[in-house]
Amino acid sequence: MYSVQTKSLTKSFGDVIAVNDVSFSVKTGEIFGFLGPNGAGKSTTMMILTTLLKPTSGQALINGFDVLINAKQVRENIGYVQQETTVDEYLTGRENLILQAKLNHIPKNEIDQRIDDILELIELSDKQDNPVLTYSGGMRKRLDIAGGLLHKPKVLFLDEPTVGLDIQTRRKIWEYIKKIHDEFEMTIFLSTHYMEEADNLCDRIGIIDGGKIQVIDSPENMKNAMGNEVISIIIEDEKNTTTLISNLRQIEFVKNINNDGTKLILFVSNGTQVIPKIFQISSELEIKIISISLTRPTLDDVFISYTGHEIRDDDSGFNRKREHAKIKRLRS
Amino acid sequence: MNTLMYDTYTIFWREIKRYKKSRSGVLIRLIQPAIWIIVVGNIFSGTQPLIQSVGFEGEYIEFMAPGVIILTAIFTSIFGGVNTLWDRRYGFMNKALTSPISRSAIALGKMSAISLIAALQASLILGIALAIGVRFPNPIMIVPIMAIVILFSLGFSGISVMVAATAKSQETFWGVINFLGMPLFMLSPALFPLELLPNWLAVIAKLNPVTYTVLLVREMMTGVSEGDISIFLSLGILFAFVFVMIGLASYVFTREVNKPF
Repeated sequence: MYSVQTKSLTKSFGDVIAVNDVSFSVKTGEIFGFLGPNGAGKSTTMMILTTLLKPTSGQALINGFDVLINAKQVRENIGYVQQETTVDEYLTGRENLILQAKLNHIPKNEIDQRIDDILELIELSDKQDNPVLTYSGGMRKRLDIAGGLLHKPKVLFLDEPTVGLDIQTRRKIWEYIKKIHDEFEMTIFLSTHYMEEADNLCDRIGIIDGGKIQVIDSPENMKNAMGNEVISIIIEDEKNTTTLISNLRQIEFVKNINNDGTKLILFVSNGTQVIPKIFQISSELEIKIISISLTRPTLDDVFISYTGHEIRDDDSGFNRKREHAKIKRLRS
Repeated sequence: MNTLMYDTYTIFWREIKRYKKSRSGVLIRLIQPAIWIIVVGNIFSGTQPLIQSVGFEGEYIEFMAPGVIILTAIFTSIFGGVNTLWDRRYGFMNKALTSPISRSAIALGKMSAISLIAALQASLILGIALAIGVRFPNPIMIVPIMAIVILFSLGFSGISVMVAATAKSQETFWGVINFLGMPLFMLSPALFPLELLPNWLAVIAKLNPVTYTVLLVREMMTGVSEGDISIFLSLGILFAFVFVMIGLASYVFTREVNKPF
């Protein structure tokens, strides 16, 4: 059974193609994560799935309902927690949840009980009658998430659930998301640009970049496919990198190499034996190695291997050297 | 139909809750109409002979008090839709749009809340009018007067909600609203009798729903009817205006919020 299915989903705004021929399925009951940099098309896809945007072409189904044809049924089946916190500051925590309950047509006689239960779950019972204005960022986010699942939706959409929160709060939110998932057994579809978050929460991840899905798999499989170790090397300058890379590829156990400027990342299966060979090759080519490290692969490495660059904002036109030169020129 | 009513009430409930929590706004919004009734009411007190020439016995201030009540209703309701822009900016709108409630219910909920708030503000101005000496021949008339103010504000809030849904920015909203509000008030007999307007202005004023509302309220407050416009004609036009605005606002709002913001 699938809770979310898309077929060749495409959305363009004028000349810009935000979502490009995206097809994927989310199994009922799993936590599925969309991982990608800002501007990759995560939010746009989510807005199509929640009926806020109409796709330019292709199809999207939520629990079998088409987002274009059965928008109302789709809305009855989903909860949507937006990237920004959207709780009403002037209302109290409880009033916010009452509003959410009414918007989602929860039967009148159940509203109070459900709100009591959910407040307990997110540990805000004692603060429920204070205006949200007095809440911290983490408390607001918890309240927002609670609002999204009060009506027990079949699919809960979480758009960047921990963006802008500090690391302790982020971990706390992850705990709540896991707790919610265990308790309500709903499908959760989340988007994030934090590797750690995707790794920590998701059963399966879809890596999205430039509006296209690069790969979908479980975080474990992705990391295993990388080879079981990663060697990162930083060399002094970019000269001869191509020769270096082609020579390094000859070493046994090296599965793949990624190159980003003076940084080389080798996905290997037997790291301790590879390192001496790396030094041998580099000294033959008279390339100076500044640092070298051997680690277990992270989702970061997976991301780089599929997209060819590190996760960062799409406006990567920012060039430190060029900016620096510009500032220098302005100063003189 | 029942769901539409329930959903409209949900949005209405939220808007009223928000209004109650921003109490400081209530007094600020009263300053302008209070200045109108106290300052303009006295500046123009010399025009009493003109007022009497069309059949009013009392002071000028008694003539213009209904006009200022409607002024309060116009501006409270035409400004009232501005939070639609905030709702779209800060995500409440998306929250409502992804829930099963209908788009029309959002527009209607906002409009009914705005109209109640406008009526509350107008009743405070009525209080000020009474405090500075305006007299009613028949105090029970307050009930139908408030009913008319609520109805009229419901229609006017439709303009506000439509402009707010269409405008993508605060600047556009305030530009359009200021362009609409003042002329609609000025082109009515709120400050000056209809019979004394130059012909071409009187023709324009007769196309303005504000005109009929002012005439209705003034007739109820002072007991004097103006020109040859009957109460039934005024009521008919007011009801027609409100129905058209409800329909138009739900349609425009639904169309606009379905577009990306």
